[in-house]
Amino acid sequence: MAIRIQRVPSESLAGGVAARLVAIVLALVVAAIVFAFTGADLGKLGSHVLKSTFGSRFGLMDLGLIMTPLTLTGLAVMIALKVGAWNIGAEGQFCAGAFAATAVALFVPGPNVVVLPLMFVAGALGGMIWILIPTLARAYADVSELITTLLLNFVGVLLIYYVATGPWLDPSGVSFASTARLPHDVPSFWGDVHWGLPLAILLTIAVAAVLNFTRWGYEVRIAGSNPNAARYAAIPFRRHLIVVMLMSGAIAGLAGMLEAAGTAHRLQGGISNNFGYIGIMVAVLARGSAIGVIAGAALMAIILKSGISLQTQGVNISTVLAITGLILFFTALADELSHYRIVRTKEA
Amino acid sequence: MTMNMMLNAGEAVASETKVQPIVRLKGIAKYFPGVVANQDVDFDLLPGEIHALLGENGAGKSTLMNMLTGIYRPDMGEIVIDGSAVSFASPVEAIAAGIGMVHQHFKLVKAFTVAENIHLGWKETPRRIARDLLEARTAELAASLNLAVAPGARVSDLSTGEQQRVEILRVLSRKARVLILDEPTAVLTPAEAAELFKALRQFAARGNAVIFISHKLDEVLEISDRVTVLRGGRKVTTMPTGECDKRMLARLMVGQEVVLSNMRERRPDAKPVSPQPVLSLRDASARDDLGNMALKRVSLELRAGEILGIAGVAGNGQKELSQVLTGIRALASGQVEICGKDLSRAGAEEFAAFGVGHIPEDRLQSGLAPALSVTDNVVIREYGKAPLSKGWVYRPSAATSLARSIAEAASVRVPDFGMPVRNLSGGNQQRLVARREMRIAANVLVAAYPCRGLDVGAINAMMRYFIELRDAGVGVLFVSEELEELLKLSDRIAVMFHGEVMGVVNTSEVDIETIGLMMGGQRRGPAGATAEN
Ligand SMILES: Nc1ncnc2c1ncn2[C@@H]1O[C@H](COP(=O)(O)OP(=O)(O)OP(=O)(O)O)[C@@H](O)[C@H]1O
Ligand SMILES: [Mg+2]
Repeated sequence: MAIRIQRVPSESLAGGVAARLVAIVLALVVAAIVFAFTGADLGKLGSHVLKSTFGSRFGLMDLGLIMTPLTLTGLAVMIALKVGAWNIGAEGQFCAGAFAATAVALFVPGPNVVVLPLMFVAGALGGMIWILIPTLARAYADVSELITTLLLNFVGVLLIYYVATGPWLDPSGVSFASTARLPHDVPSFWGDVHWGLPLAILLTIAVAAVLNFTRWGYEVRIAGSNPNAARYAAIPFRRHLIVVMLMSGAIAGLAGMLEAAGTAHRLQGGISNNFGYIGIMVAVLARGSAIGVIAGAALMAIILKSGISLQTQGVNISTVLAITGLILFFTALADELSHYRIVRTKEA
Repeated sequence: MTMNMMLNAGEAVASETKVQPIVRLKGIAKYFPGVVANQDVDFDLLPGEIHALLGENGAGKSTLMNMLTGIYRPDMGEIVIDGSAVSFASPVEAIAAGIGMVHQHFKLVKAFTVAENIHLGWKETPRRIARDLLEARTAELAASLNLAVAPGARVSDLSTGEQQRVEILRVLSRKARVLILDEPTAVLTPAEAAELFKALRQFAARGNAVIFISHKLDEVLEISDRVTVLRGGRKVTTMPTGECDKRMLARLMVGQEVVLSNMRERRPDAKPVSPQPVLSLRDASARDDLGNMALKRVSLELRAGEILGIAGVAGNGQKELSQVLTGIRALASGQVEICGKDLSRAGAEEFAAFGVGHIPEDRLQSGLAPALSVTDNVVIREYGKAPLSKGWVYRPSAATSLARSIAEAASVRVPDFGMPVRNLSGGNQQRLVARREMRIAANVLVAAYPCRGLDVGAINAMMRYFIELRDAGVGVLFVSEELEELLKLSDRIAVMFHGEVMGVVNTSEVDIETIGLMMGGQRRGPAGATAEN
């Protein structure tokens, strides 16, 4: 008997899950070893993190609140990848969505039932407008969307800082760096956790269904995988590229709207909180699967939340980032390794 | 001098027991999920020989060579180089041991020059990489290895044959003693192939060895010293080429006699050739991707129930012709009609809707999405129709069952319809594309080099498909560079040269020489069968 390692073209579901779990445990072990060297009290740190993340109502609520935008930004990046585009700009589209929704909330008078839906529309449109130019540049001039979407992130983030500290600054003087509290909220269903979370999850499942069970989804898959084959099969590559990229922007914009109107209740500088960039990681971890986006967003939410509670214990931010990086590194590794399996062969 | 060396090579082969093989494979096996790609393969490669590797599509030729070059690892068995066992973890280690491979799909960087490609990822590349230094080194290498390349040229501007020479130079410059070529001539013009053979003979004569994979038996008989045949992943036999002939090799590969019948014969119940053309092209001109006029005022007519062959050395406008006839390339001027309807301004969608099927010449680049599943690829022509789609709903399960039936009709074994289509062997990809296109070809099938990369059995099957279509009243446009195939199958043959049609002749009234002359640019006046123009 000999033992060999063999690469398999597609991983099994169980294998994939197991590999990722092992990866997380490994990353934590490595992190623990590093902590042990710095002389920290591992048991205390660990139990604190667990308690503050899973062991308390507030911890779980925070997880839900963090997971909401990550699910949407992850979905935004993932869907763009389906058509072969790298939307690095979810951060900027997030800001644009938050900006547009805030504008409606602050300046459109009216009852909740009218203004809140308008805010949803504005959020999605904001994100869409933010990705419009990169989309057209890619579709008609073949300009890489990688760079254009990225550059607009800086513009988006700065725009929020500007309006939140300038023209839209809270007139009541309560806050120095944000708008007034928005008059309309996304309603909550459990403590602070608002309906944005179930909405994000449902939207993700809906997108998965559309991609797998509609003609349009099939066409997008072909177009994204090989534009030449699409041309050959009379699938309108450019149209799909434009539509999907705009959808991607709209989803990221929606994430921004929910963050502003559901979680922060104000527009403030730094509201995007790198959610757009972390969405890229979520999408990469998800490997093109929508269910994977939900799982990836949950994982990243746990990592971020644990990081926050470590910081409250005096662990500095670079250490937290290093652990985040480790977990991602190991998960990516596991992802690759789960494509291998060990086989026993009889030696001839 | 070369002749002398050749004799030496012959002697080396004859006295097998005395010479130590450069490469010896012992009991090699390789399994993929649901597929035995190789099993119990023994193989010797002697210095000085050109060793042909034959086998049907999916017989495991590419897989075996991928193990020898470190791309895959054998699941069983041993690789022995110069008498000692080795285990390559990567192609880099294989090339360090003197084993290099030129793949069917070239792996050159198109935007780089020849010299840059040669020096890419090479540890002997000088640290200071001045342009003229690299080019001088490349020129020197090329001269010493007797391979004509232009060091300063950009790869994207080279012909397929020239690109292949660069690939070979890349391998040889790393002091390879074993050169593996996977279907090298499938994409070459006859002149380029002759050139290649000369270079291979010189290389072998220096005491090196060549493994040559091909489906073209004439070539194998011409170039090789010994032949090894694989079938279903196992070795059938190894024998000196001198003791082989075409029929015997075909039988060894397929496992049964291959009958090549005259295919121009029609079944009694076949639909007659229509008086009206199903497809007509009038004064059509079109540009290639670089903007040069590649198709110059071409007029052709294809009738329902006939096979019109397009002969000519590859690269004389055939690609553009087939693209124009399927709506993928726009006409610069002129007219296309399908079934009497003007489609000069139409796109691929309308052509498909009018029952025009298309087997493209570059299946990996435009016929398939290599990273997507077998199912996704096989249904690309029918995903929008019932039962796969109802309205805007797409049913993956219906798609898989259609894919299954197409694969069955094409006699391709697919272990898993969810796996990427690039995992299928080259020939099997081609078979699937062909079957897929035949299903939508209600009026016209445009087949560009459909037999490239197919084994003899599959070529026969492909030709029989075309005859089925012809007898069912479909017009088939059959582009090929193999005169034998063209003469066997087509009713009429149009010959292309420099983007123009040199004439259209009735196959029954023409001989190979005449066609050869036309392929070289000699015009055949309208006195022949071109009268209808
Ligand atoms: N990476 C892979 N994953 C799964 N199956 C594979 C993979 N590579 C090859 N195979 C399978 O192994 C078998 C042998 O394939 P291989 O490419 O070696 O055939 P081949 O002799 O080169 O055929 P052709 O003449 O068509 O190129 C085929 O059934 C193919 O589908
Ligand atoms: Mg092959």
